[in-house]
Amino acid sequence: MAKKKVFQISNALTEGLEETVSAAHNYSGELRVEAISLKKIELDPENPRDMALTFEDLTQGIDKADPDYQRKIEERTSLQTLANSVREQGIINPIMVYKQGDKYRLIAGERRTLASILAGKTEVQAKILDSKPDELKISLLQWMENVERKDLSLWERLMNLEKILSSYATHKKVTLQDITPTDIGRLLGCSLPHAMNFTAVLQADATLKSHIRVNKIKNLEKAALIAGIQSDDVKQSAIEACMEGATLKKLKSISTQDKAKKTLAVSPALPITRGRQMTLVNLGTTKKIPVARLIIDSVLQHEKVTHLRKHFSDLNWADYKAINHAFKQLLLTLEKLEV
Amino acid sequence: MTKIIVNATHKGGEGKTTNSIMLAEYCALVKKYKTLIIDMDPQANFSGRYIQMEYDPAYRGGKIPAIHPDYESNVDSEWDGRSSIANIFYGEEVVPYPTSIPNLELLPAHSHKLQEAEAVTKNEVLEKVHLQLKRFLELPDVRDSYDIIIIDTPPSKGPLTIAAVKAASHIVIPAQMEQFSIEGIYGMLQLWKQESYYRTKNNPIDLIGILPNQVRDIKLHKQFLEGLKMMKGVSDYVMPRVIKKRAIYTEILVEDANPKSIFELPPHNVARLEYESACQYIMERVFSHGKEKSISNQ
Ligand SMILES: Nc1ncnc2c1ncn2[C@@H]1O[C@H](COP(=O)(O)OP(=O)(O)O)[C@@H](O)[C@H]1O
Ligand SMILES: [Mg+2]
Repeated sequence: MAKKKVFQISNALTEGLEETVSAAHNYSGELRVEAISLKKIELDPENPRDMALTFEDLTQGIDKADPDYQRKIEERTSLQTLANSVREQGIINPIMVYKQGDKYRLIAGERRTLASILAGKTEVQAKILDSKPDELKISLLQWMENVERKDLSLWERLMNLEKILSSYATHKKVTLQDITPTDIGRLLGCSLPHAMNFTAVLQADATLKSHIRVNKIKNLEKAALIAGIQSDDVKQSAIEACMEGATLKKLKSISTQDKAKKTLAVSPALPITRGRQMTLVNLGTTKKIPVARLIIDSVLQHEKVTHLRKHFSDLNWADYKAINHAFKQLLLTLEKLEV
Repeated sequence: MTKIIVNATHKGGEGKTTNSIMLAEYCALVKKYKTLIIDMDPQANFSGRYIQMEYDPAYRGGKIPAIHPDYESNVDSEWDGRSSIANIFYGEEVVPYPTSIPNLELLPAHSHKLQEAEAVTKNEVLEKVHLQLKRFLELPDVRDSYDIIIIDTPPSKGPLTIAAVKAASHIVIPAQMEQFSIEGIYGMLQLWKQESYYRTKNNPIDLIGILPNQVRDIKLHKQFLEGLKMMKGVSDYVMPRVIKKRAIYTEILVEDANPKSIFELPPHNVARLEYESACQYIMERVFSHGKEKSISNQ
């Protein structure tokens, strides 16, 4: 009889779809820009300032008795050009604030805010966050904004990602090596294969990276494929082919030479680059006794273990503990038998 | 506020145009909403259903809308008598066309002009193309004239589709239950995700969902549909309606079809019931959401 066909959506696609939806939920509104009243903006008292000029100095005038009087006058003059441009076309780049009660605390854009006041505006375009962001959050926001920009080179994207990952590592108190592609996918809201490609390229050797830096290799998938090649010769020819414009398919066929070689060579210990190495199989758990019973009964059908059946004949199938114990024994016996 | 539904997915042949047609006619014929339809696809199939499209003498294979019925050559010296949605990218005036269906007006495609907008790569220009449709549809004149706007898009993820998504309040992804179609869904979900980053609570982009289309009673389709419904999070976006593959959906599009619309078939016709139910679901989602919002805002 012909084999029954099962049509399944691939794991990679499933993960990609799921991550996309979850990123949309988690980060919805994160990059929103709204016009907010300049009156509601305040400086963050925890942030050191470069300028002496305050909002009040602009609205109420600078007090002659102010010890910083001269400096403030100069600062105000230096803002005039920006204020003129704001008056004509508004600010080009929105400022960034976070909500603090019914006020907004400034994260970035002090000069733009001051210039807007000076220009006589009442409102300013701002990116609004719900709470004070940490460094990780700020680099993530940059990432979310930049992925849409097409003019970012692969190298720039990698550098961005490296920044995010090191903030993430600090944040989670782990080392960079502990961050898995799954973490990256979740962080960036990208698919697992995409995240794996990033991981591979971040770990690439200096030669490959130097070609990426000067934008000779621009494509993430191709770079990841090359990064995975073990043999130096094959890698070198793949790099050359890539720079001459080889397609991904062509590069794949080059990289298979690598695989062919590997089986011939006296295989050295392979470095573990992707995920954790697994040396055991976890058979999982179930609450359903009939399921456990079905598994055990099926195993006992095997001709090599017929002699074990008698041990199970008086097993109490209502007792989880007893079943666990019996199953462990069964596993141990099977391991010894080397089935 | 006027709702804007975009039918999109970057794969062709999924049912974007079919679904745009069905929604448009449901809104205008059944619900009697003041409806504006917009064709962003250079292939101009959506436009061709409602007005005469002519071959572009300047670009082979391209289509342009026929002369507007309100055009009077001796009065309109500034205007050549044709108008398409592509005009918004050229700073030109846009004049909707009436259709034979009451309450239904059309802003047709113009193949060459839309292709030019789609081919833009320079960043500053690109940003303008992305935002232009949104700006146009935010004009009070446009908002006040219509209850609902339905947009058909080209089979791409390019500037025209992005512009439509940026203008949208709601997205529908028609999709066949087949391999490449699922990949098309992925691409669209990514556009939706990216756009949702920029939306405020008062102006969300609502994904109504994936509408399984051209479904047949075969294992492949059933299993892919089941697969989608099993996915975490994604399952909420698989519409609880399905459109089967039926010859009538294609036959009703021919020029001398009688009746002309699915919604003029007898009320118990299976195809009419099927698509009416899908449209009803979509429109309930579109308008109920608005109501919830306005109540919570008060
Ligand atoms: N449910 C359906 N049953 C039968 N034919 C359909 C169905 N949906 C779409 N079609 C036909 O499939 C073709 C492609 O559909 P269309 O709506 O033009 O897709 P798209 O706009 O996404 O490219 C058209 O010829 C259309 O008539
Ligand atoms: Mg179409």
